[in-house]
Amino acid sequence: MTSLVSARNVSKSFGAMRAVDDVSFEIEKGKIMGLIGPNGAGKTTLLKAVLGLTDCEGSLSVLGLDPFRQRKELMQNISFIADVAVLPRWMRVSQLIDFVESVHPRFSRARAEELLARTKIRPKAKIRELSKGMVTQLHLSIITAIDAKLLVLDEPTIGLDIIFRKEFYGNLLNDYFDKERTILITTHQVEEIENLLTDVMFINDGRIVLHASMDALPERYVELMTSGENAERARRLNPIFERDVFGKKVLTFEGIGRDQLLGLGELRTPGIADLFVAKVKGAAA
Amino acid sequence: MIGNQVALIRRELWEHRAIYVTPVVIALIVSIMAITGQVVVSAFDQAVDIAILGATNLGEAERSAAISVLMTGVSGLLVLAMWVLTVFYSLDALYAERKDRSILLWRSLPCTDAETVVSKLLTALVVIPMVTFAVIAVTHLIVLALASIWLGFQGANVWHLIWRATPFGDNWTGTLVFLLALPLWLSPFIGWFLFVSAFTRRSPLLVAFLPIVILPMLEKSLIGTSLFFEALFVRTGKLPLFRGLSTKDVLSYDGTGLRFDGDVPSGLLSLLDLSKFFGSPSLWLGLIVCGLFTTAAIYIRRYRDDS
Repeated sequence: MTSLVSARNVSKSFGAMRAVDDVSFEIEKGKIMGLIGPNGAGKTTLLKAVLGLTDCEGSLSVLGLDPFRQRKELMQNISFIADVAVLPRWMRVSQLIDFVESVHPRFSRARAEELLARTKIRPKAKIRELSKGMVTQLHLSIITAIDAKLLVLDEPTIGLDIIFRKEFYGNLLNDYFDKERTILITTHQVEEIENLLTDVMFINDGRIVLHASMDALPERYVELMTSGENAERARRLNPIFERDVFGKKVLTFEGIGRDQLLGLGELRTPGIADLFVAKVKGAAA
Repeated sequence: MIGNQVALIRRELWEHRAIYVTPVVIALIVSIMAITGQVVVSAFDQAVDIAILGATNLGEAERSAAISVLMTGVSGLLVLAMWVLTVFYSLDALYAERKDRSILLWRSLPCTDAETVVSKLLTALVVIPMVTFAVIAVTHLIVLALASIWLGFQGANVWHLIWRATPFGDNWTGTLVFLLALPLWLSPFIGWFLFVSAFTRRSPLLVAFLPIVILPMLEKSLIGTSLFFEALFVRTGKLPLFRGLSTKDVLSYDGTGLRFDGDVPSGLLSLLDLSKFFGSPSLWLGLIVCGLFTTAAIYIRRYRDDS
């Protein structure tokens, strides 16, 4: 496996605040990595460093390039949405396509037009005339028409209705993604992409609190729903987090074999959202 | 690199439609003024309208000079509009993309910050003058055509009086040289405006002009000198493009009245002195200042992260 993104001791400070704090990770080719974190956790700063939009300390390599110093070369091989719905309002849809076609060697006009034909967006329309959802559709159509080795999506589906969101993720998986491509994605609507991801990374206060492949999660994490005396016994095994659900206790364990918990209650693998809360709140407690 | 420049400059023309709308509007006003001017003048005196361009007692060279003066007058209005346009364009060039956050899209594409800023500088230095020139040439043709129609109705030989006498080659080449030389001469201002538009968080117009107004006043009141004022405004007024013109050659007093002699070389080109222009240390110093401001603008666009 080859590392597409390789970060070693990457930090970025704004004044006294460390937005990204000594982070190290690798992203391999052919993965769909979810970067999950609360607002202000450093997600966007980390993405910006990966995209060469901001300088950082430590060593960071994307596609073998230094993203900040070799941004132009990098941009020829990756495509990204830094923030949805920020396309220039004065531009026409056809002008945007013309522009991207003339500066991006890997952009396919035919592909973009095919994707746009499925929407209500007309090529002659001005972007200021489009609804927020349509602007996002347009932006997504443009960047998925770029044959990129790495696709970076920062909150790609904000403001879109559920039908389009489902469609978008479906298309991303079926039409776009293949073993040659890598996707790095952040979103608040974690449940929607849970089944899409091959890997997940949690970030909180500028630090990575979890980095694992989705396949490895069931082995590492288990959730026990229990009550009364069983809950007391389970607590002795040092759960990382405990919460109440319908009068019952739900305890999350890390690195505890399921056989140790057998008979204490109902066992299951935690969802990403629950696991995230457990890792972040558990660490704070 | 060149392909990107073409795409980026085309983008500037899409975004800043004022680059061609402003001169076209001025051209329309000038054309309407040309029509009304002729109607009004000939309402007073039927002979005068002929005298403006087609007076039969004028010699070839004088008629040519008179038409050249008319053409240059038309150009003058558009040059004024061009400079106002250039000021506003340069102040908006790197500010608007941050204000509407579209900079996030531009920076997600494979164009460097240097390429983008240079495309904006080239738009101010070359593209706006070229667009202005095209509009000036068309306006000349319109104004001359209107005069021709009017004279034609008076039964004059339009071809002889106007079209053959018009020094198109001389006037247009001279105008183009002037249009391209002026932004080079004023380039330190363009560089300063681009720099302001790259860093300011609000009202670029105010931020750009306040120091230009306040610094000379401070210098005068605190130190008592006017070096900054001299460097800025006196320098600007002395575009070293023109050959010394002696009015004695053209206008003379013969005891009874002023005599106009249009037979001396009076073409625009003969007034321009390119070796003086390119030999002027002020020009090169100005270009260096422009280069420094542009470099600073590139640096700010690359390093500042305020999205």
